[in-house]
Amino acid sequence: MASIDLDKMLEKIKSTQWALSDIDWDAPGAELITEEQWPKLKEFMADLMWIEHVGARAFAALAKKAPTDTLREIYTYFHAEEQRHANAEMALMRRWGMLEGDELPEPNINLRIVIEWLDRYADEMPVYVLGTVVPMLEIALDGALCTFLLDTVKDPVCHQAFEKINDDESRHLGVGFTVMEMQGRSASYIKMAQMMARVMDPRLILGIASYMPLLNKMRDNVIAMGLPEEKLYKAMQKFERIGGRTEEGRRNPWFQLIKQHGRWVTNRSNRVYHVPVDALVKVTGMVPRKALPAVPSWVKELTYEPTTTR
Amino acid sequence: MSTTQDSPKPTKPKAARKKKVAARKATARKAPARSKPVEKPVSVLIVGAGFAGLGMAIRLKQAGIEDFIILERGNAVGGTWRDNQYPGAACDIPSNLYSYSFAPNPNWSRSFSGSEEILDYVHHLVAEFELEKHIRFEQNVAELRFDEKQGIWTATTDSNNTFTGRAAVMAQGPLANCSFPSITGIEDYKGKKIHSARWDHDYDFAGKNVAVIGTGASGIQIIPELVKVAKHVKVFQRTPGWVMPRPDFATPEWNKLLFRKLPASQQAMRDLLYWSHESMALAVIWNSPLTRIAERIGKWHLRRQVKDRWLRRQLTPDFTIGCKRVLISNDYYPALQKENAKLITWPIARISEKGIRTVEGIEHQVDCIVFATGFDVSNAGTPFPVIGRDGRVMGDEWKGGAQAYKSINVSGYPNLFLTFGPNSGPGHNSALVYMESQLEYALKGVRKIVGEDLKVLDVRKDVQQRYNKAIQKRLARTNWNSGCKSWYLTEDGYNATMYPGFATQYAAQMADFKEDDYETA
Ligand SMILES: Cc1cc2nc3c(=O)[nH]c(=O)nc-3n(C[C@H](O)[C@H](O)[C@H](O)COP(=O)(O)OP(=O)(O)OC[C@H]3O[C@@H](n4cnc5c(N)ncnc54)[C@H](O)[C@@H]3O)c2cc1C
Ligand SMILES: [Fe+2]
Ligand SMILES: [Fe+2]
Repeated sequence: MASIDLDKMLEKIKSTQWALSDIDWDAPGAELITEEQWPKLKEFMADLMWIEHVGARAFAALAKKAPTDTLREIYTYFHAEEQRHANAEMALMRRWGMLEGDELPEPNINLRIVIEWLDRYADEMPVYVLGTVVPMLEIALDGALCTFLLDTVKDPVCHQAFEKINDDESRHLGVGFTVMEMQGRSASYIKMAQMMARVMDPRLILGIASYMPLLNKMRDNVIAMGLPEEKLYKAMQKFERIGGRTEEGRRNPWFQLIKQHGRWVTNRSNRVYHVPVDALVKVTGMVPRKALPAVPSWVKELTYEPTTTR
Repeated sequence: MSTTQDSPKPTKPKAARKKKVAARKATARKAPARSKPVEKPVSVLIVGAGFAGLGMAIRLKQAGIEDFIILERGNAVGGTWRDNQYPGAACDIPSNLYSYSFAPNPNWSRSFSGSEEILDYVHHLVAEFELEKHIRFEQNVAELRFDEKQGIWTATTDSNNTFTGRAAVMAQGPLANCSFPSITGIEDYKGKKIHSARWDHDYDFAGKNVAVIGTGASGIQIIPELVKVAKHVKVFQRTPGWVMPRPDFATPEWNKLLFRKLPASQQAMRDLLYWSHESMALAVIWNSPLTRIAERIGKWHLRRQVKDRWLRRQLTPDFTIGCKRVLISNDYYPALQKENAKLITWPIARISEKGIRTVEGIEHQVDCIVFATGFDVSNAGTPFPVIGRDGRVMGDEWKGGAQAYKSINVSGYPNLFLTFGPNSGPGHNSALVYMESQLEYALKGVRKIVGEDLKVLDVRKDVQQRYNKAIQKRLARTNWNSGCKSWYLTEDGYNATMYPGFATQYAAQMADFKEDDYETA
């Protein structure tokens, strides 16, 4: 993945769109989900779907802050594409009988906090914060988890859907790393200073506080599904490998920060990191749902129906 | 472009409108279409019977020049206001300013009149100044060519009729041609397609699921009306515009009476409106403290009318106010929040047989798609070939962006006057205010050509170049050139559309006809 020509990328994105109705959601194969798999898969899918949706919202924020028209349009597309992933994953859940009364699955509490944070502060974050965090999330949670999923689920419709989703994801990553390199190129001491000031920004601290337990929570989910956690870590190391491939990429202070964080996450023996964060997962798990405000209305745009008249 | 609809078909009006329209057609049809070339060239050949062409005709008549003809491709007068008869169509400049000062109308029923009323005013102009006999309907000009030896312009129509004149006025309108946008799959769509500027009055929206593509000046007028009648309306937005409150109200009877009895009072009103719009230039054209205030008003309007945070975010513009046309409406935001309406901001991936597929993967199935997608603007060419001295072609010379002298003459194309020419567009004031000074200028030119029996009155190349250099320099500092994409700019971001200044400045430049600027023969 060398740096890519963003204008060409935008053309490619536009010309390779797919829709939920391209997939036959009633085709045979749903019975291949084993009874033992079902409950864990249900939880996993709900989380995955929410992560896509949260990623979507982050791209929406990026679109507002994009430095060029091309990037703005690309992020606008990515925003919608992540939503498409969430919609498709919901369609899969419905196919597998995992939606109760056709309702939206409940997001876990860590996700609820991230949703809340995104809704309040994401639009105010400078582009290089989300521009680095998003590729990390994509690699770790989205891209990697999908591969794990395909290893365990035999349903061909699931494979069909994820083939399309992964095609989108590879483009998201390509753009993500290119942008990180672009930012690295212009990184200066001023930016470093700005960044440090940002770290002190309480809004950002809140964001970090909700992002860290999210990663650990997902790790727990992965393990619960019987997937080796090394796979998740390997994926996160990929972030370090690709992001740090060029001088520019390495110079991006946000890359350095996120990379360092990734190292902590993947190093289980780092108790300084894991003990408090795991505790945070537990604590957030105890937050009563009622304590959180109503979900923002962007959440209500999710749907598993390929076509609609309303 | 999938379907070009540049020759408007007569609209089939509903019963209620029938009588009025029939009456209009009667006046419109009186003049027979000529098929033989006119023997002797007329003094002035006018292309287009909209506000510009008819206004030119009136000023010529008032100046005692009677031998002119107007070539109009449609079968009725009115241009913009004949074509834009969609529900909710209205002007967004107060009627007292969006009318000709030389033909005031004391009877405007509202501060911002509807399309029908404006069209009535146009018909009233035609009747009052006895213009019908000058108009040749259904003559679609396909070429204008100058013969330097004789000093004559020849217009050739698409059915090969020719008309000749010593001077020519291009008044074919800046926003007269439209087509469906080139969205993938548009030809697969099996439902009803309607373009805002070619409304189908026979289509009944009751009980229908409707999509509206586009949220510009036309879109925001149509949407509230459709929401009232259709079963469900989905609005597809690409870029949200700045929407300002609209101070619209019915004109009280005493006011109409006052204007009738005391025309000076109407002139005073017009002056007041003129100067209040002039002051808006400071906010709209240049980035000034007033720009911030205007943006605050826009944001306040949005906050007041839209409570949901996400919807508000979707509707918040991300460009400096004035960069694109400023919209005004009181009922657009509320309409979007009605039970049977929904704003969609996902990009459109394609159109399918049954509806619109957006990038979030969902197909929105609808019975009808309304395209409020604007017009084919020729800011880097001409709508039909215009051939000047030594066979030069205006469209070729304009490839990099249109250029003229004072928006009205182009060097190498003698005796030709453009209305709404390059860099004549206002962002803050009535187009007709600008038009009036163009008409006066053209009249001076025509008088010179006819009075001094000139074959050639051609603006000097260097004068034109100097003018454009200055104007582009001034444009660089305006909001239009501040980075947003709009129909004001060519693909390359060259602004060939707008005039960077006050209407008063424009009027001053047009009041000054300098003979030295021209080469004559
Ligand atoms: C929906 C809408 C709302 C608007 N509101 C305002 C407003 O509030 N304030 C404002 O200042 N401006 C407004 N405008 C701009 C408006 O276009 C001008 O104000 C004005 O009406 C233009 O007049 P015109 O005569 O130059 O062009 P038109 O009215 O377009 O007339 C051009 C005529 O030329 C004919 N024609 C075109 N090509 C040919 C050809 N090749 N051969 C023969 N005939 C031809 C057309 O059929 C048409 O009749 C609005 C425009 C639209 C579309
Ligand atoms: Fe995704
Ligand atoms: Fe992604």
